[in-house]
Amino acid sequence: MLELSNITKIFRTELIETHALRGINLTVNEGEFVALTGPSGSGKSTLLNVLGTLESFDGGDYKLDGTSIKGWSDRQLSNLRNEKIGFIFQGFNLIKDYSLFDNIELPLRYRGMAASERKRRVDQALELVGLAARKDYHPSQLSGGQQQRVAIARAIAGQPRILLADEPTGNLDSLMARQVMELLEQINAQGCTILMVTHDPDQARRASRQVQIVDGLLNDAALYDPLQQSVRTNTQSQQADVA
Amino acid sequence: MEQFLYYLKASLISIRRAPLPYLITVLILSLGLGMFFANATFYYQLNRDPLPHKSAQLFFPQMNLVPFVAGGSKPIQVLSYSNVQKLAASSIPTAQAAMYSTDSYVRLDASQPALPVKLRATQRDFFSMFDVPLLHGAIWPDNSARDEVVIGQLLAEKLFGHSDVVGKTLLIDDRIFTISAVVVRWQMLPRLYDANNRNHTSETEQLFMPLETAYDMNYMSATMSRTLDDTDYRQLSTQGRTGALHQLQFWVQLDTPAQQQAYRDFMLQLAQSEKAAGRHPSAVNNQLPAMRDIVQYFAADSGDIKAYALVTLLFLLVCLFNASHLSLNRYLSNQYEFSLRRALGASRWQLQQQMWVDVLLLTAITVLLSLPIALAGISLMNYLWPDHVLFSQWDLSLLLTLVLLALGCSYVVTLYPAIRASFGGLNQQLKE
Repeated sequence: MLELSNITKIFRTELIETHALRGINLTVNEGEFVALTGPSGSGKSTLLNVLGTLESFDGGDYKLDGTSIKGWSDRQLSNLRNEKIGFIFQGFNLIKDYSLFDNIELPLRYRGMAASERKRRVDQALELVGLAARKDYHPSQLSGGQQQRVAIARAIAGQPRILLADEPTGNLDSLMARQVMELLEQINAQGCTILMVTHDPDQARRASRQVQIVDGLLNDAALYDPLQQSVRTNTQSQQADVA
Repeated sequence: MEQFLYYLKASLISIRRAPLPYLITVLILSLGLGMFFANATFYYQLNRDPLPHKSAQLFFPQMNLVPFVAGGSKPIQVLSYSNVQKLAASSIPTAQAAMYSTDSYVRLDASQPALPVKLRATQRDFFSMFDVPLLHGAIWPDNSARDEVVIGQLLAEKLFGHSDVVGKTLLIDDRIFTISAVVVRWQMLPRLYDANNRNHTSETEQLFMPLETAYDMNYMSATMSRTLDDTDYRQLSTQGRTGALHQLQFWVQLDTPAQQQAYRDFMLQLAQSEKAAGRHPSAVNNQLPAMRDIVQYFAADSGDIKAYALVTLLFLLVCLFNASHLSLNRYLSNQYEFSLRRALGASRWQLQQQMWVDVLLLTAITVLLSLPIALAGISLMNYLWPDHVLFSQWDLSLLLTLVLLALGCSYVVTLYPAIRASFGGLNQQLKE
């Protein structure tokens, strides 16, 4: 479904160049739940943003359903984000002075969907996240966990094929984090492909596949210890074991 | 429509989020537009073409027919009676009329107090050349002297209490005149047939008398007369028709380029023959400005209005700059929302549609606020330049111009900030 070939991304300022992605090769199949892990600054969020077309890439190719999106116009990329991709952000990114209904409806409006269909989808999404009774509330009237559930409802209301979640539980306590993870698993079980950036090894283990990124490179075999914020490759581990 | 209302709601929510910067932006813009529009009203009215369909066909012949060597680049602004007679001998023009303005007194009978009036002594074609609309009656059949006058509706109502007064009589300087026609309330703005006297910003006359009759009554011009010999012109009826008293304006209607060229040739021949006859020693200097260019030709435009136009334009530019700056800050503080909308699938084009609704809303509010400011500005200008009161009126085209101007300014104020905000880095904004 998703196919990245030798993707590179360089951030440039006047003084320095930062190679955030150094040649990522990754394939994600339909219905997978992939956890992207790695130390801070390793490039996992950049990779997620490239996958979500929030960032452009400098080299390589990105194919979605076998079609390269390289060179697509702003309109094509907007349509892609609107119709096929759902986003869940660490900071929820809800518009504070919009009601829950208006927040969730937002991406559907840009699709030009009829009002009745938008209402049906929003109600359905709110039902799924357990907030149907609060659709006229504003985000400030909800807890952090509830806000993230609204963000999830917004992401799934458009029935996307891919859900990209950037540390979706990063701002939540453990109870709320567990509820959000259960919700994501439920959505994945319905056939939606999920890629999730996380620092939490417990959450990463709940995914169907873990992908680790180190210094802008994929390291499927790396062993990442989030407590030590360090990486040892298999080779290093073996050498250590021999020693 | 539904999407428009949605964008409108989004704009209103955005304003409610930070009302003070928006209010200041609107006030600054309205102040600049209001002051500019106050001046633009005068500038527009003073420079408008009152007869756009024929202002390029009405001409004001100017000749150097004076009995001495005349200096200067332009001939004297008025002609003598005898010179007009020579010009009027031509059959080239479609219409032609000599005229001047004077002051007189009018009343219905000797028992009433005399009412001072501005009087235009003119000829038959004046009314057709300048599209003077008649309410009742008919204009004199020829240019000969007669005790008949044409009066304005306003004066008719003032004297008789109604306007249907054709055939009635009145006293002008105690001489009995019959009213042959009544002119509808008519104000040619600007009154370009009097631009040579720089008198085109005043009201139209309410009384029109045959030129020959005015000469018979010894009426001198009240605006411009030049005596170029030592004749006593108090006896205008006799000496005024033969001597070098220059006080007449003369207009001709030349509809085609061929007519215009033929008339120029006629003027040249006349000047040469007059010079050959020894009636004027100066070099031939004929001018034939069209009514369309007459204010510029006589440099009769208002310097005050021009200077004020420049000042208010600069003020508007300063206001635009400051409003843009405030608007930029407002949009940048909303950049997060732009980025979020783009992340959720809005294209740049859809964000620009949102911006257009912002522009329309800003335009509507700005127009509503700038109108009272413009009215205040006009009151101030009427106080400073009372001569220009006639030019402080709004018409539909002027109001539409204000709306377009406000739209343009709102677009300028909104465009750059909106583009900056919609082109921001999505990821960075969402993280912040």
